[in-house]
Amino acid sequence: MRSQRRLSKSMMPISAHKPSGGVLRASLFLATMGFAFVVVALPILAVILFAIFPKLNELSFIGPFSNLGPHLNDPRLLQAVFNSVTLALSVCALSTALAVSAALLRIKLGRRGAIWDVLFLVPFLVPPFTGAFAWIQLGQRNGFIEQLLGFNLSAMLYSFFGIVVVMALNLFPVVYFTTSSALQIVGQRYDEVARVFGATSVRRLFRIVLPLVGTAIVSSNLLVFIMTVEEFGTAEILGRRADIDFVVTYIHEKLSDWPIDLPGASVLSLILIAIALCAYYLHLRLTKQVTTSVDEVQSQGRKSQLGTVGTTISHIALGGLAFVAVALPLLSILLSAMMQRMSGGLVWSNLNFNAFIALFTTHEDALSAIATSLHLATVTALITVTIGILAAFFIVRWRSVLSDPLDFLLTLPNALPAMTLAVGLILVWNQAFWPWTPYNTWWVMLLAYTCIMLPYPVRMITSTLRQLPMSMQDAAVVYGASDLGVILRVNGPALLGVSVASGFIVFSIASRELVTSLLLTPPGFETVSTFVFHQFDQGSVNTAMAMSLVSVLISGGFIALANYLNSLRPEKGH
Amino acid sequence: MIRTLATSFIAMMAATAVTADDLTVYSAGPKPLSAALAEAFTAKTGIAVNLFQSTSGKVMARYEAEKANPQADVLISASWGHAITLSAAGELLPYASENAMTVPDSLKTEDYVAQGAAAIAMVYNTTLDMPAPAEWSDLTDEAYKDMVTMPDPAASGAALSLVQGLASQDGDAAWQLISDLKANGMIVPGANAAALNPVLSGARGVVFGAVDYIAIGQKAAGEAIEVVYPESGTVLAPRPIMIPASTDQADEAKQFMDFVLSEEGQALVADRMILPARTDVKAKRPGWDELALIDFDYVKAAAEAEATIDAFTAATE
Repeated sequence: MRSQRRLSKSMMPISAHKPSGGVLRASLFLATMGFAFVVVALPILAVILFAIFPKLNELSFIGPFSNLGPHLNDPRLLQAVFNSVTLALSVCALSTALAVSAALLRIKLGRRGAIWDVLFLVPFLVPPFTGAFAWIQLGQRNGFIEQLLGFNLSAMLYSFFGIVVVMALNLFPVVYFTTSSALQIVGQRYDEVARVFGATSVRRLFRIVLPLVGTAIVSSNLLVFIMTVEEFGTAEILGRRADIDFVVTYIHEKLSDWPIDLPGASVLSLILIAIALCAYYLHLRLTKQVTTSVDEVQSQGRKSQLGTVGTTISHIALGGLAFVAVALPLLSILLSAMMQRMSGGLVWSNLNFNAFIALFTTHEDALSAIATSLHLATVTALITVTIGILAAFFIVRWRSVLSDPLDFLLTLPNALPAMTLAVGLILVWNQAFWPWTPYNTWWVMLLAYTCIMLPYPVRMITSTLRQLPMSMQDAAVVYGASDLGVILRVNGPALLGVSVASGFIVFSIASRELVTSLLLTPPGFETVSTFVFHQFDQGSVNTAMAMSLVSVLISGGFIALANYLNSLRPEKGH
Repeated sequence: MIRTLATSFIAMMAATAVTADDLTVYSAGPKPLSAALAEAFTAKTGIAVNLFQSTSGKVMARYEAEKANPQADVLISASWGHAITLSAAGELLPYASENAMTVPDSLKTEDYVAQGAAAIAMVYNTTLDMPAPAEWSDLTDEAYKDMVTMPDPAASGAALSLVQGLASQDGDAAWQLISDLKANGMIVPGANAAALNPVLSGARGVVFGAVDYIAIGQKAAGEAIEVVYPESGTVLAPRPIMIPASTDQADEAKQFMDFVLSEEGQALVADRMILPARTDVKAKRPGWDELALIDFDYVKAAAEAEATIDAFTAATE
């Protein structure tokens, strides 16, 4: 029956640009929208309502809007908003500079550059909280650098600039992965043509290569911008020392310092939503200007296109970036984990692996915490990537009036501080009127993680799909491919790379998520990050750092393994 | 993938096995203490305990957010001010445990009682070229230039207690002390751990207003630090146990409170280097008779907490 319908359709002049019917697509659309509503819209709606009705936590609707005026007139807030936006713009600029250069070098290396893809995922695996602590350990007075080399970085570290650098080193991989998958799709052909016609390399870069991957850069910058505005660990640890107030630290103050003010935090979260909305519109306008798509997917460059000298220089440059962004923080974490006494300094007698051994002998909950985190991270990655692919098609290809709202909705979780989202989830699911509730079970963690992580696959896959040639999909539809066929057989292979990459990013971030876990964990439930946090809180810095490192190694190992298995897959068309 | 989903399902089944009969306890750190108390309580009474372990702030945030459908049967915070606020709002179930007989009056009311208390101290790194401090005011000396850290009273109930105590004892002189410390390069980097870590690693020399039991534990583990209680007086940061009036397990919650205040429960508190609330249970650290304590009105101080934090912010600007 379906083939008949397809047949009759293929005889009509069709354009895949227009939404066309079909039971399958309708049900996929409903499923995606329904999922987005339950997972993302409900908790965000709860936060918005809480900002309006300050007694919502008691399920009372008295005093609407009574809370907005006093909070919005707060003089501290204006400065905090300014600081947050300036920080986010600076972090975007620095991450883009680092990531685009790295991606351009890496793509020329072909398959021999795969090592850098794995290494640049590591900054995601390190929790921002631990990462900022690692930098303090390195750079503070009498820190590791001073003990080894005789100088310290504390003046630089505890400044606006220091916060920008630490955050950019943490976030540049978002731009790096999106840009390098875009470069792969674009291929080298246009560049070659321009070269043959005598364009200089600078001119080719700015007139050919960068415009072709403009969508990817703009789209990933939206993520970086919103993540910077929302990210709490670095802003808190370094910002407090530098006496710089951000919206997110202000929100956390309301959520956890005396007196606790949940509705006030919700009001401030609305400001973050507003900032995100502005960023999103700017991004839409920019995307319209820079979107380009190629008419044919290029096969992956398998061999390095550089000579020996070029290859070596590229490897050295990427190695330098990896040294600063990956090796230094990890080394600092390793040394902190090996130090038996923090006051003992970097001397051999003070260094051993006891904290690691204790992790597997005396802390029986450490292993189960690792298992819980890996399990949650895997399931979250599978779910978010699946939804991300479906959503990307509804946002880019099968457009309707709901496409842009869906896109914005699925980006929004990144704009809200994770702790506000956690409050929203409590407000939604801890209600007596639900016949069954995920609250206080494993499922609420999955809901929270899925909500927080959805923006990554959605952004990454959407931007790649925008670049894919429409011609293939049109051809497939003409020859009777179903919607699922279009997703799986036609665009699927081209989207596989970015889907896997976004899955890894979700896995990495989910395997160390802290803030929602601290508020939402069901009783008796522990993840890697809450384990680390509690050890840290009790002053067992070396145990906390040992656990962080073990978790980075295990999650990193999983990613490297998956990456390796993925590379064994035979390439299509070869 | 199917296996993963199957495991998820099993995990869900396991997680939903939390039944209404269990006692739900929300506790601030240290985690080994809450875990040991819960385990010993279950062993003794057969009542299973669901323990949610987090920081004081997050325990209270979760309690607040859950008000439409309250879950917690017992709350343990590290900040006395939390208990005063909830008590004033009429949200606590009054209960006077028989085991609280030997708890000093300042650490119990009809609504809540201390599990134990931390004393606030100066903690200094002994490896640095710096004299040993004895008094709070010593730290304004040139010898401690750029050496002092202090937990933020807005983030640490303990630091707030110290500021309240000093302000009620010394009045304006206390605020002068704070601004002199700031002028001498004192930093206020965050909560307790954020203030202590730079001193442990030698980036800074001394904490003004450290929670003592964490430092005592670290000194026992071999860290080169000393804990000093000024003779002019310090304050206690008591850790309140409360039963929310919304509990549907009042009997079990009361039994839990009795157990924490029993000799067995108090011994577990003492094991974490915390000062037990009961004066007749031996402390494993400087005890009730060794500390010079500033006597001040906790309830009045809690009512003025916001003004105190503002005054602190003004003094450190």
